[in-house]
Amino acid sequence: MRFEHKSTVNAPRAVVWAFLLDVPRVAHCVPGVETIESIGDDRFRGVLKVAVGPVRLTLTGEVAIASRDEAAGIAVLRATAADKGAGGAVSAEMRMVVTDGMAPDTSELQIVTEAQVMGRIGEFGQPIIKRKADQTMNEFAANLGRAISVP
Amino acid sequence: MTSTYDLHMPATAREAIDLLARHGDDAHVMAGGTSLVLMMQQGLIRPAHVVSLHKVSELRGIRSTADGSLEIGALATHREIERSPLVRAHSAMLAEAFARIATVRIREQATLGGNLAHADPAQDPPPALIAVGALVLIQGPGPAREIPLEDLLVDIFTTSLEPGELIVGVRIPPLAAGTRAVYLKFLPRTEDDYATVSVAAAAVVAGDGTVRQLRVALGAVGATPIRARAAEAALLGLKADEKAIKAAAERAAEATDPIADGRGSAGYKRSMARVFTERALRAVLA
Amino acid sequence: MSRHLLKFSVNGVAREVEVPAERLLIDLLREDLALTGTKEGCSVGVCGACSVLVDGVLLSACLLPAFRVDGTEIRTVEGLASKEGRLTPLQQAFIDHGGFQCGICTPGQLMAATALLGEDPHPTDETIKHFMMGNLCRCTGYQGIIRSIHAAADEGAARA
Repeated sequence: MRFEHKSTVNAPRAVVWAFLLDVPRVAHCVPGVETIESIGDDRFRGVLKVAVGPVRLTLTGEVAIASRDEAAGIAVLRATAADKGAGGAVSAEMRMVVTDGMAPDTSELQIVTEAQVMGRIGEFGQPIIKRKADQTMNEFAANLGRAISVP
Repeated sequence: MTSTYDLHMPATAREAIDLLARHGDDAHVMAGGTSLVLMMQQGLIRPAHVVSLHKVSELRGIRSTADGSLEIGALATHREIERSPLVRAHSAMLAEAFARIATVRIREQATLGGNLAHADPAQDPPPALIAVGALVLIQGPGPAREIPLEDLLVDIFTTSLEPGELIVGVRIPPLAAGTRAVYLKFLPRTEDDYATVSVAAAAVVAGDGTVRQLRVALGAVGATPIRARAAEAALLGLKADEKAIKAAAERAAEATDPIADGRGSAGYKRSMARVFTERALRAVLA
Repeated sequence: MSRHLLKFSVNGVAREVEVPAERLLIDLLREDLALTGTKEGCSVGVCGACSVLVDGVLLSACLLPAFRVDGTEIRTVEGLASKEGRLTPLQQAFIDHGGFQCGICTPGQLMAATALLGEDPHPTDETIKHFMMGNLCRCTGYQGIIRSIHAAADEGAARA
């Protein structure tokens, strides 16, 4: 699954860049994130709750900053998470690119996410996860833009 | 793998509703059980209480009512619907759509009410029923109500049922004389697979070729079945020629929101939605 | 959590078994009653290996909660032949007409075909294919299965 989002953020590039590397703040823009805590070395552990109709998944996993290139404004986050009960896992790589915006003190933010669903959850849960991922990523992009923007 | 649960076996719909009210979100209704058993086996649903309806005999049966409606009980199995002379007399399309769901074993166990409550957008019954104007009969803690099927299915695996509400049946009003209906599904893999796309259409065409009534519904290409209202509007009141049919099918495809999976990419499914809508429209209008 | 005492019959023999609510019929048959003729293949109701008759209705034992068989009569592949070991015409036809190769799907094929012939004693090729479509044979011995069903139907007609 590939998701692409582009938005204009009302904040200068340096502010956006600092925000993107603050993983707990970024994570809290993902709807359903319950907890997120640092475990050192640019790695974080968290819990994401997903509800679709009667289906309730609790995805427990890790997020890591895989790479950062401040000059180019590119940061890559990698996340893996699994639901114990459903015996399935999700992995995602999120590539975030921030550039100067057209207007002063604005930035262009591009987020490209590649996600995979693995394990038994894939058989029956795949349509659920795919639909939900699409909704979640849309909300995440909107939340992120709002959270970063300088009022 | 299924987590354990407390089983309740009410004898009446009222008892079932009371049990659901008492246990709230911890309870899940089981009708035929084909989907629920799988979802519990796979750990996607882990209810503390299961309210099985298999002893609620008032939810069984298929009958014609005085006003010419067809009423199908929530616990009627797909196989009973497929083989019912009453259903065939009301709409042969419906009987044939049910005869082609999955395999005979699934059709013997799965029920109409369970299918609708499951709200899986890839299932066959919803588009077929929407095309013939089916209404869902609902009972719950509040007053009984009757809603169009398209208003029940609000998102993937999500219905508009209130807590404690139960689908007790479906009512299909009498169809206008001369109604032609068709259900097409695209099965590029195996005959018992979920459809890649499905299209149901029902129409009444006047003697001079004018489209008087038309309902078109698509399955498997969105978070819910999709009533193709723009496609209907594009043809109503007109004489449907090939050009008008192609334009209407284009409207139907625009209303879809498919996800890519083993059955094809989103773009491919949208194209197939157009192709199968064209074929369905030709079948009921030409 | 809850446990339930089920009373039913399997192949004409009365049984009483207490099971947890979530027990499935396939496990009731194979584990609790040691009736291992019924096979578990896909476990998701697709392959047909676990086909059994419950009050004459063809079902997947892997999808049916055991509590639902309370008060019913179950028939499995072990219950087709007579107590003396006389095969049904269908079983004999499977042997005579190449109705099986490796045999893993055969109990399910036999139960499904028994249900089919009960509904339609003289099915056409089309009827057989439509009805038996959900009983997969990974040896792909479908022609032999269709031949066997026709032969059993003819045998039934000859005896009638």
